[in-house]
Amino acid sequence: MKKVSNANRFAYAFLAFIIVWCTLTFSPRIKPDQYLEEFIGGVVISLIAAALSYKHLSQRGLYNLSPKRIGWFFAYIPVFIWAMIKANFDVAYRVLSPKKPIKPGIVRIRTNLKNPAGKLALANSITLTPGTMTMQIIDDKYYIHWIYVQSEDEKEAGDIIKGEFEKYLKEVFE
Amino acid sequence: MKKALAIVLAILIFIVFALAFVKIPFGEKMSTYPHYYNPITNQTSNMSLPQHYLTYGKNDTGATNMVTAIVVDYRGFDTLGEVTVLFLASTGVGSLMYVENKVKKKVRRSNAVVETGSKLLFGFIILFGAYIFIHGHLTPGGGFPGGAVIASAFLLLYLAYPKFHAKHEKLSVSESIAGLTFVIVGLIGLIIAGYFLYNFLPFGLPTYLFSAGVIPLIYVAIGVKVGSELTAIVDSMMGVRE
Repeated sequence: MKKVSNANRFAYAFLAFIIVWCTLTFSPRIKPDQYLEEFIGGVVISLIAAALSYKHLSQRGLYNLSPKRIGWFFAYIPVFIWAMIKANFDVAYRVLSPKKPIKPGIVRIRTNLKNPAGKLALANSITLTPGTMTMQIIDDKYYIHWIYVQSEDEKEAGDIIKGEFEKYLKEVFE
Repeated sequence: MKKALAIVLAILIFIVFALAFVKIPFGEKMSTYPHYYNPITNQTSNMSLPQHYLTYGKNDTGATNMVTAIVVDYRGFDTLGEVTVLFLASTGVGSLMYVENKVKKKVRRSNAVVETGSKLLFGFIILFGAYIFIHGHLTPGGGFPGGAVIASAFLLLYLAYPKFHAKHEKLSVSESIAGLTFVIVGLIGLIIAGYFLYNFLPFGLPTYLFSAGVIPLIYVAIGVKVGSELTAIVDSMMGVRE
């Protein structure tokens, strides 16, 4: 990964903070001059918060906002929601079925994501879909608690658990 | 014998308190009281105290949040004392936790999820804390909860990175500047109008961010002060780690 200047990373942090601030302070009945005052206050606060945390926030600065990444991110949202709906029905079936078709266990899978933020997004996506939960990440190894262990093989289990996630996250974060 | 004495004493105290409270008409109209003189409107009224604050508070202080108006304006001096108490607590914890021969604790590395997540969230938590204490005069919230939110951002870093240490010099600098701001604002009021913590800035329009005179200034100072004090407390409780 090529080195990104500090000013670039600072600008990215500032932009992220001012957008969050504007959403926090907005309300449908706010008057324009009132919103302007909130915006001025927000600029000052965002500058301070960015100065404190821009080194933590991103490695890549404004390059995070390339149209390609954003496009892939928005493409990822329906994929994720669909995976979540499917997993919800699956877990509901396992809970309600009188035969109790569960076989819980912890499996180890591998990822080829390198970026820490990408790894975090994958871990949280896995945790948010019912039935699977990320317990620990060590380097490229994920330890996942699974409600019904379909395979103990690293590769095979990884393909089932990660599904489409990894392909999209790789485009967004790498 | 001792038990009987204790029971008698408890009953006696209860009777004394009950007699004292019987005379105070909680929640009743103030009309049973002698007429109350209002120095601002220069007239006597028979309004109850809460009614008085709700009626005149907005004009007196410019703040739409009545609790803030009372805490920072009417009872501003008391709040200065509260902040001092917190400072003393922080100092006390620091001196109790200080160990002469610094014993270094072995620590485990935390989870990668916590590490990355805390890095990403740190700035946003700081922003949200600032949002709470800057809007103290408009919305529920203010310096104390805002400062606690900011300290929680640092607590997250402590949890994620066992070796993390907030710089004590920086914490004391920000804390001292905040405390000084509070006192200096109070002293300027004393010079201008003859009252400590007099609200000398223009009130502006209610519900606007830049309104209520010195109240936002004081709440920013309190927020920074509480944030750095609580962070210092967390830091000294974590001890020296290896």
